Amino acid sequence: MNSIEVTNLSFSYTPEIDVLKGIHLKLDGETTAIVGQNGAGKSTFVKLLKGLLRPTEGEILLNGKNTKDYTVASLAKEIGLVFQNPNDQIFKNTVIGEVMFGPLNIGQDEQKAKEKSIEALEKVHLEKYLETNPYDLSLSERKLIAIASILSMDPNIVIFDEPTMGQDYAGKETLKEIIFELRNQGKLVLCILHDMDFAAEVFERTIVFNQGKVLIEGPSRDIFAQKEILEQAYLEQPYVAQIADELGLKGSYATDEDLLRALKEE
Amino acid sequence: MSTMTLYVEKNSILHNTAPLTKVLYVMVSIAITYLIPEIAFVLSVAIITLLLLILGKVFRKIVPILGLSIILILSIIIVQGFFHPQNQTILFSIGFVTFYKEGLSYAALLTLRVMNMIMSFGILILTTKHDELVEAMIKKGLSPKIGYVLLSVLQLIPQMRTTMAKITDAQRSRGMETEGSLLVRMKAFFPLIGPVVLNSINITRERAIALEVRGFSSNQKRSFLNISKEYRYQTAIQVILWLTLAAAIVWRILTWLS
Repeated sequence: MNSIEVTNLSFSYTPEIDVLKGIHLKLDGETTAIVGQNGAGKSTFVKLLKGLLRPTEGEILLNGKNTKDYTVASLAKEIGLVFQNPNDQIFKNTVIGEVMFGPLNIGQDEQKAKEKSIEALEKVHLEKYLETNPYDLSLSERKLIAIASILSMDPNIVIFDEPTMGQDYAGKETLKEIIFELRNQGKLVLCILHDMDFAAEVFERTIVFNQGKVLIEGPSRDIFAQKEILEQAYLEQPYVAQIADELGLKGSYATDEDLLRALKEE
Repeated sequence: MSTMTLYVEKNSILHNTAPLTKVLYVMVSIAITYLIPEIAFVLSVAIITLLLLILGKVFRKIVPILGLSIILILSIIIVQGFFHPQNQTILFSIGFVTFYKEGLSYAALLTLRVMNMIMSFGILILTTKHDELVEAMIKKGLSPKIGYVLLSVLQLIPQMRTTMAKITDAQRSRGMETEGSLLVRMKAFFPLIGPVVLNSINITRERAIALEVRGFSSNQKRSFLNISKEYRYQTAIQVILWLTLAAAIVWRILTWLS
C-alpha cells in the first residue's frame, strides 16, 4: 500500500507570508481530490510532496522516504506530477520521444521505455500519433501527452494538477478511466481540481484547502454534503448535491446515480 | 506582472521632476565632463550629481552599483598609472612597479567621469518609473512601437525567468538531473531550452494578436491612459541645462582657438 504522511508541514516563500501552515495529513490508497479557491496553497502543497520545494517546517514521508533526503530526480520513480501546462515540458519533436524522456531518465532501457511509453499512450488514446510532432496536436491532446509521459515512468504515487481544465467530455472520460485503472493497480492518486462534479464523482476522498490550511478532509460524499463549510472556502457544491438540496432530499449525493436512485425511491 | 526595475518609490524633488528633464540632465552632465577635461571641473559635476542623488533619497541604492564598477575603476587606475604615453614624473614605486603622475591624474579624470555617468543614470533610473519615461518619450514623438519594445524588454527577462523555473521543475519531475557535473548540465540544456524557445515564440505571436485586436498599429492620434503629471519649473531647469551645455561647448572652442 502506498502512503503519504505529512506532519506539521509549513511552508513560506518569504518569511513574512506563510503559504502553508501546520498541515497534518495521512493518505493511503484512496484516490484523493484536493480542492480550494485560487491561492489556497494547493499547488504549493503538491510541489512540496514532489520535492520541488522543501518544507520550511515539518516532514513529508513518501512510502517512508523523507523528501528532504532525496533529489527531485531520484524521487521521480516514486512520485509523478503532471503539470498544468504541457508546454512547459514538451521539447521533443515526436510524441513517442517526449513520452520516453522520463523512463529513460530513471534508468529504463530503450526497449522497456518504448514499451511502457506505448502502453501509456494507449491509455490516453493517442497511440496513433507516435511519430507526430506534439505541437501539431491540440492543447488538450498535449495535456494527455504530458499525462502519458508521467504514466510511462510508472510511479507509485501520481499527482495531477488541474487535468480537467480544457478537456471535453471524451477527455474527462479518458481521465476517469486512467484514474480508476491507477487505483486498481494499487497506486495512490492525488488530483488538484476546480471541477467539483468531477471531484465528487471520481474521488473517494477530498481535502479542502483554505488559506494555507486544511479546512476539512474525509470521504468525498461527506465533504460535499457540507454546504456551509464549502462556502467558507468559497467553493460550490457539486450540481447533484445542489439539486438534492433544492429538492429537500436528505442524505449526501456525490454522483448522478445517487440522485437518480433517491428520486426513483420517492 | 513583475518587471525589472530599479525604481525606488519615494517622494522627493527628483521624483517630482519630469522624466525628460532628467534625461536631459544625464546627457548634459555626461557631455560636459568630456567637453571640459579638467579634474576640478569634473569633480564638481560629480559632486553635484551626488548631491542630487542624496536629494532624491536614493543615494543608498547607488552604492552597490558604484561598488560593482570598482573593478573597472581599479583597472583604469592601474593601466593608466603604468602605461599612459605621457608618463614622466615618477610619483611613487611599490617594488618594481612605478606609478607616474600624468597617468594617475588621467586615471582620476576617467574615474570621475565614469562615476558621474553611473550616478547621473542612477538619478534617472532610480527616481523614474520606466513606463512613465517611455510614455513621456512617446508623447514627444517616439514611435509607440519602439516604446513597446523598450518596455517589453524590461518585462521579458523576469517573465523568462519564471518560465525557466517552471520548465526546470517539469523536467526534474521527469527524473532529469539538473545539478551536478558539467556533462549532466550539458545534457540538461536541450530539455530546458526547447520549451523556453517554443513558449516565447508562441507568446510573442499571441501578444502580437492581442495588441492588434486592440488597435495597436492604428494611425489615429492616440490619447493616453495616464494623465501627465504637472511638473513645475521644468522649462527653467531645461533652459539652464541647455545653457550649461552651450557654455561648455563655447569654452571648448575657445581653448582650441587659443
